[in-house]
Amino acid sequence: MEEVRIGVYVCWCGNNIAKMVDVQDVAMEVETLPNVVIARDYKYMCSDPGQDLIISDIKKHRLNRVVVSACSPRIHELTFRKALEHAGLNPYMFEMANIREHVSWVHNDREEATRKAKSLVAAAINRVCWHESLEKRSVEINPATLIIGGGISGITAALEIADAGKQVYLVEKSAQLGGFASKMCLTSPFMYSTTQMIRAKINKVMNNPNIQVLLNTQIEELSGYLGNFTTTVSEDGRDLELKFGNIIVTIGLKAFDPSVIENYKYGILPDVVTSLEFEGMLKAGKIETRDGRIPRHVAVIHCVGSRNATYHDYCSRLCCKNALKYANMVRAAIPGANIFEMYADMRAMGNGCEELYSVTSKKNVMFLMFDQHNGLPEIRKAGPKDNCDMIIELDEKLSGERIEVPADLVILMVAIEAHEEAKRLAQVTGVSMCGNQFFIERHPKLDPVATTTDGVYVAGSCQAPKDIPDSVAQARAAAARVLCTISKGNVEVEVTTAEVNEDRCCGCQTCISVCPYTAITFDEEKSVSVVNEVLCKGCGTCGSTCPTGAIRAQHFTDLQILSQIDGLLEKSMELKEV
Amino acid sequence: MATRVDPTFFKSLEKFGVKDWKDCYHCGNCTANCPLTEEDTLFPRKTIRQAQMGLKDKLISNTDLWMCYFCGDCTKTCPREANPCEIMRSIRRYQTSVYDWTGLSKKLYTSAAWEIAVIVGIGIIILALFGLFLPPSAELWSNPARFINAQGGVMINNLVDGISGSKFLYIIHYGDWVMALIAGGLLISNIFRMFYLTLWRDTSVRIPLTAYVTEFWRLVYHFLTQPKLRKCDDKSYWLGHITLMTGYTIMFILIVALLPVFQTEEIVPWYNWQRILGYYATFGILVFLIPVIVGRFRKRQCKLKHTHPTDWHFIIMLGLTALSGIAVHIFRLSGMPLETYFSYVIHLAILVPMILIEVPFTKWSHLAYRPFAIYIKALKRAAGRREEAPIPQFA
Repeated sequence: MEEVRIGVYVCWCGNNIAKMVDVQDVAMEVETLPNVVIARDYKYMCSDPGQDLIISDIKKHRLNRVVVSACSPRIHELTFRKALEHAGLNPYMFEMANIREHVSWVHNDREEATRKAKSLVAAAINRVCWHESLEKRSVEINPATLIIGGGISGITAALEIADAGKQVYLVEKSAQLGGFASKMCLTSPFMYSTTQMIRAKINKVMNNPNIQVLLNTQIEELSGYLGNFTTTVSEDGRDLELKFGNIIVTIGLKAFDPSVIENYKYGILPDVVTSLEFEGMLKAGKIETRDGRIPRHVAVIHCVGSRNATYHDYCSRLCCKNALKYANMVRAAIPGANIFEMYADMRAMGNGCEELYSVTSKKNVMFLMFDQHNGLPEIRKAGPKDNCDMIIELDEKLSGERIEVPADLVILMVAIEAHEEAKRLAQVTGVSMCGNQFFIERHPKLDPVATTTDGVYVAGSCQAPKDIPDSVAQARAAAARVLCTISKGNVEVEVTTAEVNEDRCCGCQTCISVCPYTAITFDEEKSVSVVNEVLCKGCGTCGSTCPTGAIRAQHFTDLQILSQIDGLLEKSMELKEV
Repeated sequence: MATRVDPTFFKSLEKFGVKDWKDCYHCGNCTANCPLTEEDTLFPRKTIRQAQMGLKDKLISNTDLWMCYFCGDCTKTCPREANPCEIMRSIRRYQTSVYDWTGLSKKLYTSAAWEIAVIVGIGIIILALFGLFLPPSAELWSNPARFINAQGGVMINNLVDGISGSKFLYIIHYGDWVMALIAGGLLISNIFRMFYLTLWRDTSVRIPLTAYVTEFWRLVYHFLTQPKLRKCDDKSYWLGHITLMTGYTIMFILIVALLPVFQTEEIVPWYNWQRILGYYATFGILVFLIPVIVGRFRKRQCKLKHTHPTDWHFIIMLGLTALSGIAVHIFRLSGMPLETYFSYVIHLAILVPMILIEVPFTKWSHLAYRPFAIYIKALKRAAGRREEAPIPQFA
């Protein structure tokens, strides 16, 4: 093994670190540690002069390892790795000790803080001794894309990618494109005709030479990884092998079945309909009861299956604004009708929705609030004297009274649920699901279209209940991400992956069961686990569960971590009884 | 028992004032802000909700809105500018029309033409009665000096030929009695209906008979002093109101009960009790009326921003009554018998329709409804207490 020559750099971070840690003392003390060639302190290590200092020291003192003790590696690890690269060192020969977030910002005893800083730096020095050079790897990207689901999200993403000149396979389970959006009559709150919007889009998809639409088709199995996926689908009885580099999952949603809520007597009383069935009525141009009469009292019940601990805790997001749309449409179609909106909370959010709410509230619509915790409204058949078909009884929250509401037609605003295929497709594509079986994005705020599996993106209501604008935005974002990787041609993959020592592997397959990225497969012939380095994210879960120690997580080897602990203990030394 | 909602009900309320009932979104700022609300008396929000939902029975049996003195603080702080104060007034007008079994109240509140016609009609009857039975003496023109007494004032009871002073006085006196009996009788019958609608109709509540006696003091106390109004933030409002209220109560007692000692031929010195009380009553009415008139024109204060036609009618009638009364007094003291006679007749032609219309049917009826509502509330609470009491306690 070559001689280890370490340079240590202690950052002041202006006054951020220096006010609580005696940085000069730290630098002086760690300089005496073995293998440390040089230790310096500097006002801002991350600044250009700070980086230049490291680069020139590497050259001048023939350093082959560097420790920077400054802020969190989340902020500047990449900066310093680049500096190492500039100086001709492998960027992984670097370790960072966090003495800002972990020391100066959280302590108020300067002496103790300095001691803690010293031990953290010493730990980093011990660790960096065992660092190994790791080489960056990249994979080629197949420019074709698979889109699963032909709803508004799938159609949008397909057009976006195809318009950029790349091949798209658009797979749809049913016999036609359009999804749930095409089942709606008008959009809310701006009342566009969905048919006109979707029809034009579908025509574009059908006529686009770059899009191959596969109807009545499901994805059963998927192999490969980012850049190089393959699947086999059957088209007209023939097996067809598709090869593609990225996947966008846009399988959409399922409507909640309200017959499980006894209070609403859906399926028992003929004129209790779901919002989807009512959209059908609107599309047909007739608002009428089952036996063809014009309803005099129309009641809309919100939150059917949403925001209720028994069914779904979440808010379905679309129902309030759609319910307001219904109130407007019923008012337009039957000017003399009594319209009742029974809501738990009015949550018509989004552009133009609050305005729709205030416009609707001026149209003689009676808004009645119920409390989901105190029982749902109850629908019953009206008696002969009631002069209406049904009576809805509820505890109205704002008046505190138990009231009866007459109704001839009841519209249930059913919740949006995850698609029934979601679970199966999550397993096929390796995407994680939340408790409600919606797909989970990689980061809820900063990475809303990617998933934890590289090369697989999500868009639309399969990720959470979404309206058309949100679905379209997410679909285009996913398409943009896919086009990015395609135009780059290849993509760098994680270097700090797990390695299996085949001699030690006992073939217990514990690692396969714990891997969150389905990156490990089992080689039946050799009877050992095999890590797919493209899928592996280097989380280390397999390494820590492996009973024989056969799996080694690169850059987090046992030796590296144990020596880091050693360094920490040696310097924090005389452990005091507190 | 569930109550049926009625989405068309608010339309029947619209004629009583407020047109827009939908602005309120029930944040409850008004109730939180009101110094008069109590745990079981949550207005205006709850009352507004009953009106919005068309819970007619609940609204009719609701006595809470009589607890409100319409200071306007709720309207000032309403984030939706829904004007709760004016909504409360409108519901009060509606309530008054519901308590009135004759149906006249509704006509008067919802039609300005009806109100003016009734006022003018009664006024003409009074003028006609005077013309037919108590015409002015011809000597008022030819020999006015005959009607001047030793102190130089007009002998007010001797302005009609062939009717002696004491006879004239008693004709007017009994006329006042008739007016008071009609107005009072109607008002009392309406109060019985109020009791029925708000209390007796609800069979689930049993009021202990003793409570009617033990809680009675509230009726008298609140009628005389309006202690709830003192809780309002604007204290000057209470002072003005109590001055007005004592003023016209005194005047009412003077003309109905004490006319023979009030309207004497001899002009008593200014420090005599009749004159002092008379001046106080006039002062009390004007001191309240003038700022209200100015305020209703300026529309700065929330409570005076919106004026229903009946509000103006009341102000005009009360103002004219006071002014014509002052005129009678001045003409009398200045020894002008002709002017005294006519101003006296006009004074009565304004006063009588005002009392007959305002007391049993419209705005002035609150003099009874408000203390009775407080009394009824106390009775309901007493019933509540009795129901709670017998819960057995086991050790």
